[in-house]
Amino acid sequence: MNFITDAQLRGWLAQLIAESTVIAPRRAGEDLLLYQPVEDPDAICYDFGRSTVSPREFFLPATEALLTVERVRQATAGDGATAGNARVAGQWEVKLTEPHLQHDQVLFAVRPCDVHALTALDALMLKEPADAYYAERRARTTLIGLACEQMGPSCFCTSLGLSPDDGAGMDVMLYRADGGYILEILTDKGRVALASQAPVDFEGSRPQRAWPEAAYQVPPRAVWTERFNDPYWASLAERCLSCKICSYICPTCRCFDVRDYTVAQAAGYQKIERLRCWDSCMAEGYRRIAGGHNPRAAKAQRLRNRFYCKFDYYPADFGPLACVGCGRCVDQCPVNVDITEVLQDVAAR
Amino acid sequence: MIDNPYLPHLGHLTAVEPLGTGIKLFKVQFDDPAVARQFVYEPGQFGFLSAFGVGEAPFGITSVAGIDQTVDFAVAKVGTVTHALHEMNPGDVVGVRGPMGNCFPMPEIKGKNVIVLGGGIGGAPLRPVITSILNDRDNYGNLSILWAARNPSLLVFTDEYDVWRQAPRTQLHLTVDEGNASWSGHVGLITQLLQKVAPSPDNATVIICGPPIMIHFAITELQKMDFTSEQIITTLEAKMKCGIGKCGRCNMGEKYVCLHGPVFRHSEIKDFLESFV
Amino acid sequence: MIEQICSIAEQILADKTVDVVIGYEAGTRGAVRPAFIRSAAEAGRLVWNDACTHNLANYVREKHVSPKKGAPPAKVGVILKACDARALNVLLRDNQAPRADLYLIGVACQGMRQNSGFAGRDLGDLELRCQDCAERVPAGCDVVVGEAPAAGVAPASAIARELDRLAALSPAERQAFWDAEFARCLRCYACRQACPACYCVECTAEQLEPSWIGVAIRTPEKRFFHTMRAYHLAGRCAGCDECARVCPVGVRLDLLNAWFRREIEGTYGYRAGQDATTPAPLASFVPSESLDL
Repeated sequence: MNFITDAQLRGWLAQLIAESTVIAPRRAGEDLLLYQPVEDPDAICYDFGRSTVSPREFFLPATEALLTVERVRQATAGDGATAGNARVAGQWEVKLTEPHLQHDQVLFAVRPCDVHALTALDALMLKEPADAYYAERRARTTLIGLACEQMGPSCFCTSLGLSPDDGAGMDVMLYRADGGYILEILTDKGRVALASQAPVDFEGSRPQRAWPEAAYQVPPRAVWTERFNDPYWASLAERCLSCKICSYICPTCRCFDVRDYTVAQAAGYQKIERLRCWDSCMAEGYRRIAGGHNPRAAKAQRLRNRFYCKFDYYPADFGPLACVGCGRCVDQCPVNVDITEVLQDVAAR
Repeated sequence: MIDNPYLPHLGHLTAVEPLGTGIKLFKVQFDDPAVARQFVYEPGQFGFLSAFGVGEAPFGITSVAGIDQTVDFAVAKVGTVTHALHEMNPGDVVGVRGPMGNCFPMPEIKGKNVIVLGGGIGGAPLRPVITSILNDRDNYGNLSILWAARNPSLLVFTDEYDVWRQAPRTQLHLTVDEGNASWSGHVGLITQLLQKVAPSPDNATVIICGPPIMIHFAITELQKMDFTSEQIITTLEAKMKCGIGKCGRCNMGEKYVCLHGPVFRHSEIKDFLESFV
Repeated sequence: MIEQICSIAEQILADKTVDVVIGYEAGTRGAVRPAFIRSAAEAGRLVWNDACTHNLANYVREKHVSPKKGAPPAKVGVILKACDARALNVLLRDNQAPRADLYLIGVACQGMRQNSGFAGRDLGDLELRCQDCAERVPAGCDVVVGEAPAAGVAPASAIARELDRLAALSPAERQAFWDAEFARCLRCYACRQACPACYCVECTAEQLEPSWIGVAIRTPEKRFFHTMRAYHLAGRCAGCDECARVCPVGVRLDLLNAWFRREIEGTYGYRAGQDATTPAPLASFVPSESLDL
C-alpha cells in the first residue's frame, strides 16, 4: 500500500496527460457527469457517484472505423495478373487498411462497477476469435480506480456479488483518505504508470466499509426459463418507448451495427470507411432481415430479450452476468422501467 | 494488432451466374494463394461477403472444399448489400470473411438414408451436402432430395438435377407452389410432396433448409411421420453483423446462430426459448 | 380530482366505451409512469399530481390496434393535459386515429415539475413550458376534470427569453451553441420515440435506401438528424417538451422546437394542435395561396 497526497496526485495526472490520453470524470452540465479526455487535472470532478453515461465508449466507441477501403481503377491490363485471374484494364484494385489507436489511454477515477463491466465484456469480446479493436484498447488502457465511499440510491452492485470498493480488474486503486488517497498498485501496468512518482509507503490497510445488505437477488436460470412466456413481459413493455437509452448508457451492453460509407470519391478512386456503431436490441428494426421478416417485431419480445440477455443468456454463454448493478438504466429510463423491480417481479411470480 | 477477424480476405469474382429469378451464383477466387489453401470449410458453414462501399452480409457457402475450385455463394437480391452484389461482374473485387459457424454432421450421418428438403434459396447450403454424398456415394444410404420453390424460375441448381437423378440410390422430387405453361411436375407445398414421397424414418436423417415457416411446417409433418427430433437437422438464418459472436444480434434465446449454429438439430431447437420463426 | 378521474375510467371501461385507459400510476422510487388500465377494478392504480408530465397521446396510435385478426381496433381512453391535447389534435388532423374510437379525458393542469417521470429524483421548479402556459385546460375532450385556474394565468415567457438570447447570437455563435449540444447526443432516438408527432414507420434517419444520414454517431450526422427532425416537426410540434425531458444528456430540444414554433406562429399565425382540422402550413398545398414577394 502507498499514500499519495492531493498535490502529488495532481502532479502525477499532469505527467500522465503529457504522455497519453487521460480520460476522467468531468461535470458537463447540471445533472450531467461524463468521462471525457482532459487536458488539465483541475478539470476533473471528484465529487460524483457515477457518470451519466458509462465509460465503455473508450473500449467500444460509439462510432469507429473498422477498415478503410481504397478502390483504385487499374490503368493497364495485366497488372498483377496470375493464372486464372480475370483482371483486365479498367478493373478496380482494392487496398484495406486497419486503423490503430493513436495514443495509450488512462481511464482515471473509474468505479469498480464499470471495471467489472469490462471484465464481463472481456468474456465475450476477448473470446476466440478476439475482437482486435476492443483488445487493443483494453491492452493500451491503464485503469486507475476510485473506490466508492457510499452506494447511490439506485446502485445494487452488492446484490450481484460485487462491491463498491473492490479493486478487481484495476491497475491502480485509490481509496479516499485525509489529504489524499491510499493507493494500491495491482498490476505491472499500474507499476509502470507510477514509475515517475514516489508515493510514500502506507503502513495501514485500505478502508473496510460495511455495505448495506443486498436488496435484490438474481433468480436462478430455471426461474427465468419458467417465466419466459409470462404475460408480465407484455404489460411491462406497454410503456417502453423502444428508445436506446438503457443500452447506450449501460457499461455491459455491446451490440453494434456495421456499414460501409464512401468518404472520398474522384475519377478512378473511391475511399470507403467500414464503420462500426452502437446499436440496441430495443430498436424496432434490430432483427429485421432483408425481405422484411422480423422475429422480434413486438416491443414485449425486445424488452424481454434485454433482461434475459443480461441475466440468463450472457452468463450461460460467456460466464458472468451482463449487469453490474450500476443503476444507470434505473435513473435514466423516462418511463420507469426499473431493472430492480423486474428482478423482484420475476422472482415473485 | 492481433489477428483481426473483421478484416476480409480479398478475392475476385471469377464468375457470376444466374441461378434463378433474382438469384445469382458468385464464384470467388482468393487473391492470396495462402488464404485459398487455409480457407477450409465444411458443408453448412457460411461466410460474410463484402460489397465494398455498401457493406457485408452472411451467406451459406454452396461450394465444397476440395471439389470446387472457387468459394461459391448463392445470393438472392433482397436488400442493400445483395443489390450491390448483383451489380457486380467477373473480375470485380470482393471481400470474404470466414468460414464461420458449425457444419452439418456429415461423418455422423454416414451409413444413413438421407432426406434433403430444400425450399427456394434454402437449397444453397444444402447443395454441399448433396455434392459431398455423391462424391462419397458408397458411404451413405439412400439419398432422397425434395426440392421446392414458389415457381419454376426460383428452383436453384437446375443444371445439376440430371447428375443428381442419375446417381445411384438417389431420387430427386421437385415441386412448385405455382406452375407455369411448361411445368409438368408436382404442384404444391413441400409438405404435400413430403406426404407423397413418404420417406421412412428407419435409419434416416433429414436435413432441411428454407424459409422459417417452411422449416416449421416441414418439421411438423416429419414428426407426424414418426421422425424423431434427433433425426431432424436444419440450418437457420438471422440478421448478422459480425458472424463471430460479438455483435449480439443473431441470438435465439441463449443460442447464437453464428456461434452455436447455423446448423441445429430439432432436439436443440425445441428447447429454444425464442421461436426461430 | 383523482377520484373523479378514476370514476370516469371505471365507467368507460365497465360500459365498454373503451378497451383501455392510458393514464398515470405510481412507479418505483417516487417516479410517476404511464399506466394502461384494462378493467374497472384496476382504475384505482391511477394517480394525478404535478409529476404527470408524460404526453400520453404518444401511446394512442399504438393502442388503437386490433386485438386479433378480423376484430375492430381497440377503443382507447387517454388522460390529456392541454399540451397533450394539442398533440392529439395533430394526430387527428393527420388521420392517425379516428376520433370516434377515442375517449379523451381532459384534466385541468396546474403545471408539471421538472425531474418528473424519473426514479429517485426530487421534483424541481415548474417546467419551462408550464411556466409559459396560457391554456391549462385542454380543449376538444369528451370530459374535463378540474377547473381553469381562478385568476387566469400570467405566462412567464421563460422560453421566449431563452429564444431571444439565441436570436441575439451571431449565426456562428448559434451554430457553436447547437454543435455543443449535439456533440453530447448519443442518437438513442429517445426524443423521437417519446414524440407523438414522430410516427413514421421508417424514420428518414434510419433509411438505408437511400442512406440519407448514415449510422455514425458523430457530430455531422447528429446535426443533420436534429435539424431534419425539427423541420419535420415545424407546424406539427405541440410543445410538450417530452423530447427534452427524456434526453439522457440534456440536449435542449425544447429550445430547438420552440424556435421553429415561434417561426411558424410568426409567419403563418398557426399553432400546432390549435384544432383537429386546420391543415399544417408546411404540410398543405393550397393552389390559391401566394407568397407576397
